[in-house]
Amino acid sequence: MPSYVVNKKRKASEEDAVAFDDEFQNGALEAVLSDGSDDEEDSDFEDFGSPSISSLDEAPDKGNDEEEGKYLAAETDDEDQPNFRVETDANGGVRYVYDEIDPVYDSDDPDAKEATNTIGDIPLSFYDSYPHIGYDINGKKIMRPAAGEALDALLDSIEVPKGWTGLTDPETGKPLNLSQEELQLLRKLQTNEFLGNGVDEYPVSLPAKSLVATGANTDIVITQDTVEWFTSVEEKMPLSAAPEPKRRFIPSKHEQKRVMKLVKAIREGRILPYKPPQEKEKEEAEKEEKYFDIWADEQPRDPHVMHIPAPKLPPPGYDQSYNPPPEYLPTKKEKEAWEKAEPEDREKEYLPQTFNALRKVPAYGTLVKERFERCLDLYLAPRIRRNRLNIDPESLLPKLPKPEDLRPFPTLCQKIMRGHEGRVRSVAFDPTGNYIASGGEDGTIRLWDKDSGHELWRAKVSSEDRVQVVRWRPTADTFILAAVVGEDVVLAVPQIDSLSGEVENTSREVLDNGFGYAKNATQLTTASGARKDPPGKWERPGSKLESQGVLLKVTVRSEIKVLNWHRRGDYFCTVSPAGQRSAIAIHNLSKHITNNPIKKLRGGIPQHASFHPTRPLFFIAMQRSIRSYDLSELKLDKTLRPGTRWISSFDLHPGGENLAVASHDRRLVWHDLEKSADPYKTMRFHSQSVRTVKFHKSKPLFADASDDGTMVVFHAKVVSDLSEDAMIVPVKTLKGHQVIDRLGVLDIDWHPTEAHFISAGADGTIRYWG
Amino acid sequence: MGRIKKKGEKGNAANYITRNQAIRKLQINLGDFRRLCIWKGIFPREPRSRKKASKSASHSTTFYYRKDIQYLLHEPLLQKFRDQRVLEKKISKALGRGDISDAKRFEHNAARPDKTGKPTYTLNHVVRERYPTFVDALRDLDDCLSMLFLFANLPSTDAVPAKMVARCERLCLEFQHYLIVSHSLRKSFLSIKGVYYQANIQGEDILWLVPYKFKQQVVGDIDFRVMGTFVEFYMTLLGFVNYRVYTSVGLKYPPKFDESKDAQAAELGAFTVESEKTMGAIEAPAAAAAAAAAAAAAKELKPNPKVQQKVDKLIKEMNAEEKEDTNGITELAAPTEEDAPDALDKFEPAVAGGDILPQPSYSTTNPGKLFSNCTFFLSRETPRAPLEFILRAFGCRRIGWDAVLGEGAFTHDEKDERITHQIVDRPIVRAAMNQENGDGEDNQTAQKLGPNQQVPGRVYVQPQWVWDSINEEELKGVNSYVPGAQLPPHLSPFVKSTAGQYDPTVALEDQELEGEALDSDIESDPDVEEAEETNGNDLAVKDLSIDAHPDMDVDEGDDDEDEESAEGDNDSFGGFSEVEENGAAESGDEEDDDDDDDDDLRRRQLEMDAEMRGEHVSSEPQDPKSKAKAEAKKKHAAKAKQEAEELERRKGMMSKKKRRLYEKMEYGRNKQSAEAEKLRAKRRKIEKELAKPEA
Repeated sequence: MPSYVVNKKRKASEEDAVAFDDEFQNGALEAVLSDGSDDEEDSDFEDFGSPSISSLDEAPDKGNDEEEGKYLAAETDDEDQPNFRVETDANGGVRYVYDEIDPVYDSDDPDAKEATNTIGDIPLSFYDSYPHIGYDINGKKIMRPAAGEALDALLDSIEVPKGWTGLTDPETGKPLNLSQEELQLLRKLQTNEFLGNGVDEYPVSLPAKSLVATGANTDIVITQDTVEWFTSVEEKMPLSAAPEPKRRFIPSKHEQKRVMKLVKAIREGRILPYKPPQEKEKEEAEKEEKYFDIWADEQPRDPHVMHIPAPKLPPPGYDQSYNPPPEYLPTKKEKEAWEKAEPEDREKEYLPQTFNALRKVPAYGTLVKERFERCLDLYLAPRIRRNRLNIDPESLLPKLPKPEDLRPFPTLCQKIMRGHEGRVRSVAFDPTGNYIASGGEDGTIRLWDKDSGHELWRAKVSSEDRVQVVRWRPTADTFILAAVVGEDVVLAVPQIDSLSGEVENTSREVLDNGFGYAKNATQLTTASGARKDPPGKWERPGSKLESQGVLLKVTVRSEIKVLNWHRRGDYFCTVSPAGQRSAIAIHNLSKHITNNPIKKLRGGIPQHASFHPTRPLFFIAMQRSIRSYDLSELKLDKTLRPGTRWISSFDLHPGGENLAVASHDRRLVWHDLEKSADPYKTMRFHSQSVRTVKFHKSKPLFADASDDGTMVVFHAKVVSDLSEDAMIVPVKTLKGHQVIDRLGVLDIDWHPTEAHFISAGADGTIRYWG
Repeated sequence: MGRIKKKGEKGNAANYITRNQAIRKLQINLGDFRRLCIWKGIFPREPRSRKKASKSASHSTTFYYRKDIQYLLHEPLLQKFRDQRVLEKKISKALGRGDISDAKRFEHNAARPDKTGKPTYTLNHVVRERYPTFVDALRDLDDCLSMLFLFANLPSTDAVPAKMVARCERLCLEFQHYLIVSHSLRKSFLSIKGVYYQANIQGEDILWLVPYKFKQQVVGDIDFRVMGTFVEFYMTLLGFVNYRVYTSVGLKYPPKFDESKDAQAAELGAFTVESEKTMGAIEAPAAAAAAAAAAAAAKELKPNPKVQQKVDKLIKEMNAEEKEDTNGITELAAPTEEDAPDALDKFEPAVAGGDILPQPSYSTTNPGKLFSNCTFFLSRETPRAPLEFILRAFGCRRIGWDAVLGEGAFTHDEKDERITHQIVDRPIVRAAMNQENGDGEDNQTAQKLGPNQQVPGRVYVQPQWVWDSINEEELKGVNSYVPGAQLPPHLSPFVKSTAGQYDPTVALEDQELEGEALDSDIESDPDVEEAEETNGNDLAVKDLSIDAHPDMDVDEGDDDEDEESAEGDNDSFGGFSEVEENGAAESGDEEDDDDDDDDDLRRRQLEMDAEMRGEHVSSEPQDPKSKAKAEAKKKHAAKAKQEAEELERRKGMMSKKKRRLYEKMEYGRNKQSAEAEKLRAKRRKIEKELAKPEA
């Protein structure tokens, strides 16, 4: 590197040059000399292993002659012995022949020949198979630079010089080294610095001299003037002439406070003298829990209203014993069921087991889990205070008088009357209570003897329609039976032997009276003037029927389902649910006139209609409500809401202040007309729809009939006194009729005086209950 | 005119607060909140209307009472938790910064109760707050004791530090010592889960469960942090309770604890209970005697008559001393018992005519004297801890056991002549039957008797004898408890018999419902399963018989007013098809004047049926006994039917609300009675099977 350094020196500052001159005073000038002479004479020493040679940096300015001469002179001055011989060359000229330089490594030949390309413009690879690369001027082979082991050995012995890259110069095949300057340059390129030579962008405030003194090898530093933004020199003179403040001379209050705090803490024992950690641990471990009588001054305190103490776990039962009574052990089936069930679904978390000795009892597997769950229950489960009903269920049941005390009421089926083909639709006791009339789906009306149960009379009123209803005219002086067949109401005087002539005559007279009444009185006409059909056509049913006793026929516009007589027997009402405006008809028997008093019906299809037993009121049951109309004033009196979904029928108590409603939704509802539109009692005794309900005319009894084939007899004591409610007691459930096609008992009727009734069943029988 | 009420200021909305809201209000994390709730005994509530309490509440939202949370706000522990959290933060910060020394210093300050078992806080004030009086604390002691006894038997792990286990054990043993001294243990029960004990302290019944000495299995999801929190509180509680009960009977608390003895599994023997006044050890003489005996036993491996004599003499002296000492103690203890708050008065009617109330006495016999005259020896296969505890608590002062069972025995010598009762729990070895009094040498134990060999002059019983004796409060006859005998069933003393429930102590006949036995007699089958099924069916059959034969009334067309019941009888005959029924009904008119007699009627019926079918009637002679039974059964069925009808009649007249309530109650009652019935059926079958081989 010396050559490089020297070259730099020329450009560098003077001081630098001086410094470096010192380095080279150890007689290396020789080499310099020889270097200078390189131009003229081709030194033929082999440039072996000089790492400092680089072809890049060396464009050695072949110094001017002047300089060279000067060096030369110096050389001659210094050296006594010339290292060359003077010979004559081939031309006879003088020729200096220099001694061969022994290229030992330490020679540190500064003017070792720089590598020159002697191979011309051919690739280096041509020499790959040769030990040399090109030839020198003397025609000698220039040996390939050392490689491999020799080089390794050498490298081991020397340190890597600065600028060594490890690359090979592609031109010379020698190692490529970079000079310091080039490295600097590269660095500057990398950091995007200004490339101008010798310009320091960042002037340091330190004087240049000190830098030199430190021996830093920043050899290219050009010191610029440092701008001292802040003075680095301490001013000796105070700038302010203010006197020193007082606080500098008196003790600080704040500090005193803090000290006092510490003192206090130490006194109180909050700050303890330091102890080594082991000792402290030991002390803590030794410290016992201090127990004392925590309840020394106990004062009972009522728990908070909202506090709910945790319930205790139930004590173990017999089945938890290790040796329980054998009946507590599970059977195989129970065991399997228990094992199969999910742990959450099990009723008990354990299975009773038995061990014949205590030593055989194993550990209980889930004890820890159970305890854990108890813990969870204690802190995680919401607690609710539940009032346990500590009442006797018996007390909930209403106290009913014994049925035995409420006699008489029907308890047994006394007679069964068979004869009807198909269902018996309707039954009725005649006003004297001696005969029973019935109508069935076979289109016949029959009369039965109450006592013997024998059929006395029969009339087939229709071959296709069924007899829907049979009802007796309620007065005892006549013997008139009304029956509904399809759209017709037929009125008959059954011809039986025991019937007295007087009664029969009166009956016929009553039926025939109307034919003479105001035949041509009014002709109904429509708006257009055309004749309109009257709401009911009264006529004779024909000779065949007349011979059987059926004397009168009233035809209305649509099929009738319900017929009820007025108590005096002059009027009867019919309901034909499909009749719309003419659904409700009131027929006057004495005048043979039919009226449709109520044209506009609200609340669906009319189900039932009936006269009030004492007052001029008329009740109509719609699907969900029952309306009562005042017949004298022709206005709506009141509406009852039994709360059922489909009323099937109703019946008025003979006293006229109560009403029982049967409904298809299995309920029987009792209404007190004086009190409210809402039911007084709702009773459920049936599993199927309740068809009909009937009151006894004189006794405190009523009964209902249902499709489940049962009838329930109630005792109903109604007091006229307003302060006392009606007492309703079910006294007997009667079973007997069979359920056929989901129809059981279709109709019932009470005996006018005795506590007996008859029922018509879908099984074709009429039963007499007493 | 009242002011308009604003929403959310009253009622559910103001009274309840969700858990998250509570945590946010208290500014602690969930874990700390949980601990606080556990210690302070705060539990979630169920608002009457969840929707009103919080609009966004789902079914899993937990609600707390707002005042509970308000009350937690003033808890000093809250500050402790916060400080701890700050410290934890400091430590993690220091570690993050790499300041190891700082972190170490902080860590040193941090309390790590899970490691050291010593928290920086105490729960004393919480105990006082939760239990303003001592009786309140006693009321809540069930869970505390069960938990601590369980933890005393748990293996120590990371979650359960060894110190906690040791402390639990110590507290439990101290408590047991109190029960021994005060003789307040009342009952005990060997269940499959462990041993239940019931003590009565100041009139409060305390029931707890001690697991058998096995390694406890930890199965499933068990969070030991939760249990640890409970145990932390319970330890404090039991400590104070112990102090209180010890001082109440004039003892010093804590009792002296001998670690070396404890290391030798002395358990109860490791403690020396001292009186507060005399400062003398109460049980010291017994312990000394035991030690001497043990030493003697150790020496006595090869019996040396001289040594034996000496030892005997020594023991005699010791016994004499002991007697004196015990006398002294009883004198000493007598006044304290007088002062004890649970001392009982006798209430006798001063004036004649008053009703006699049950006396407030625990028992007629003094539980402290039950075993006072006995000397026990426990064989090595018996569970020593429960036996020792129970025997001591019931007055036994001299209990010896095999040396393998640990330190602290009265004697380790099985041949000691003072032993009156030996508790054995081993089967009789058949092979060794022939061996006679050959001294079976056993290297491991101090056992010097051969198998099946018994020392004359003492009673050999199985452990259950002890339990049955204390529960019955008298020494039971040992006949059924001798080794190898089939033990009588061990019954829980905690069950109070209620009407309608099955009670195994009462004879089957006394608790059977009417007609139940009859039913089962007729229908019972040899197979259990079938028997059960028929039992199940039985009810169904009854129901059917009510519903399915509605025309039965027809059979007797009788106007008689008293026919109600008779008619019912007929109904229960069963066995007629509908068609036959009709046939009968048709002929009902003719039968009007039939006799009331059921049998007659029935026979007639059968005859008629046969006639209709065109068959000949074969009159089968019936066994009079079975006939009587059938008759009784019929009667019962008729009665049942009538009752059912009556019930139906009344139920129909109920309002909807009441009916629902009634049905709910019915459900519960039916379930209970079904359970009882099942048990009775099982017992009936077992009894029958037992009777068979004899017959």
